[in-house]
Amino acid sequence: MMIEIRDMFRTYEVGEEKVHALNGVDLDIEANEYVAIMGPSGSGKSTLMNILGCLDTPTAGSYRLKDKEIRKLTDDELAQILNREIGFVFQTFNLLPRADALHNVELPLVYAGIRHEERRRRAKQALETVGLGDRMKHRPNELSGGQRQRVAIARALVNRPSIILADEPTGNLDSATGEEIMVAFERIWRDGNTVILVTHEADIAAHARRVVRMRDGKIESDVLQGDVRARA
Amino acid sequence: MNLRESIGIALGAIRANKLRSILTLLGTIIGVTSVIAVISFVEGMNRFVSEKLINAGANVFVVDREGFVTSQEAFEAAMKRPIVSLADGEALRQGVAHASLVVSQLGARLPVNYRGKNLRGVDIRGRGAGYDLVDDLAIAQGRHLAETDDARRQMVCVIGPEVVEELFPGMDPIGKQLRIGDFRFEVVGVTQEKGKIFGQSQDRFATIPVRTFQKLMAERGSVSIAIKSVDQSSLPLAQQEARNIMRGRRNLRPGEPDNFGVTTSEAYLDLYKNLTGGIFVVTIGVAAISLFVGGIVIMNIMLVSVTERTREIGIRKALGARRRDILTQFLVESTTLSLAGGAIGILIGIGLALLVGAVSPLPAAVNFKSVLLGIMMSSLVGIFFGSYPAARAARLDPIESLRYE
Repeated sequence: MMIEIRDMFRTYEVGEEKVHALNGVDLDIEANEYVAIMGPSGSGKSTLMNILGCLDTPTAGSYRLKDKEIRKLTDDELAQILNREIGFVFQTFNLLPRADALHNVELPLVYAGIRHEERRRRAKQALETVGLGDRMKHRPNELSGGQRQRVAIARALVNRPSIILADEPTGNLDSATGEEIMVAFERIWRDGNTVILVTHEADIAAHARRVVRMRDGKIESDVLQGDVRARA
Repeated sequence: MNLRESIGIALGAIRANKLRSILTLLGTIIGVTSVIAVISFVEGMNRFVSEKLINAGANVFVVDREGFVTSQEAFEAAMKRPIVSLADGEALRQGVAHASLVVSQLGARLPVNYRGKNLRGVDIRGRGAGYDLVDDLAIAQGRHLAETDDARRQMVCVIGPEVVEELFPGMDPIGKQLRIGDFRFEVVGVTQEKGKIFGQSQDRFATIPVRTFQKLMAERGSVSIAIKSVDQSSLPLAQQEARNIMRGRRNLRPGEPDNFGVTTSEAYLDLYKNLTGGIFVVTIGVAAISLFVGGIVIMNIMLVSVTERTREIGIRKALGARRRDILTQFLVESTTLSLAGGAIGILIGIGLALLVGAVSPLPAAVNFKSVLLGIMMSSLVGIFFGSYPAARAARLDPIESLRYE
């Protein structure tokens, strides 16, 4: 099992009040699944995504990623998980503004301690995969929104992580460009990656093969739709 | 993580905000500049002074009217004392048992000319026998002054090679008549070249017999008498003998103070060391204050930089940067920043020292140690004042940082 979540709680203290962002969640995700996590704001989907992405840790319950209990890891081990196992794609792209596309894609490899030439080679390859072989020396502000998001996807893929975690990846794009990005995710999934999509848009979630709906910190429904969209 | 990348980021930030960077680095620049300039200056002075004093020879002390004067009052008092005469010199020559050499000296700066060619400000030295040892002179051409020249008050001189070059280009100066002040002298010898000590030519002089000097130009002038003891251990003895002889000649009663001076080179060296020690203390103070202020400015700018780049820190953490990677990145940045200031300071400091050396007779010596010190000081400032902002950056929460606008 790639991801195993058992009886998970995440509680924030806001002043005197306790807010239960996650209120008893169980979730299993296998390798090479394509999952969309949906729900209105305040449903706990962002909290779940942060925990899945190891940026946050649960208050109670267990999260095992590739059989590792995330709560028991030290800061350095967590950093290594972020580096090796998780590839983020953000709504706002989150590229370094002063670095060119190539350098942005190289960053995860820098923290993986990979040598300069090898880094260059793999980053170029990743950019070519997303069709930006001719934009490597461009900075983010010289690229369109769709191109920026494709740089971010190349960055997420470059260290061959176990999970691609995308948070509203089309939220800042027009629908045509958004559709392009979804085609890219489809291909990533077909290449054997595990893709988890967090979105509140039904037509984006429709691309996934499994849809998990959240409400009030709990999973409301968990539906496979692989039969709806056959593999090409 | 990647050192080159961090240095690159820091240098890029400096280039991107030139004015801000210069203002940021001003404190560090001033601190390092002052240290480098003063160290170079004092170092140069040290060499200059010790060479000057050692030039007079080891185990040499001087008997004269003024002695070792350090204040205006002492100088005025000394001017009322009786002069030291050539007769005193003769008495010392005969009486100081532990002396290997006693040389009477007079001096002035006068123009020298030959057939309309005029050379100003030549060091005219009146010297008794043995001057070649005390002044450390070797003959290149002709002969040294002899005892008989002195006894007969001959109008002869030995000149330095620079005087030859200026007045007798392409000529043999031996036997030529030149004018020193208002008097004609025959050149009997030329010394070997000694070169310059920190811009001061050692070859622009004319030495004449001391009695000739006194007769023509310093009837009432006070002589200074250089006495060289037989060896190091007999130096105090020779000094005591000289004092006793002088006190005897002046009928001083026991308890009456000396009305003449006996001065060793150490006395000058001691005073000098006190002086430069004071300069050092002041410089260290100035440097410490400006480095402290410079450090605080760097800390401030780094805090601004951490805030401005909160999102970048969040991104880096999400991509797998450890706390120590972030810490290192910002420490390297602050250190690069302060080192850049240090480098500018070193260059300005060296420039100042060389400038002072070029326009004044005061020499300057830039040494490797002071450059090293400047680099060390500025990197320490960067590390020390950069650690708080860097620690803050490393502690940032990735989720909040990613949301930061």
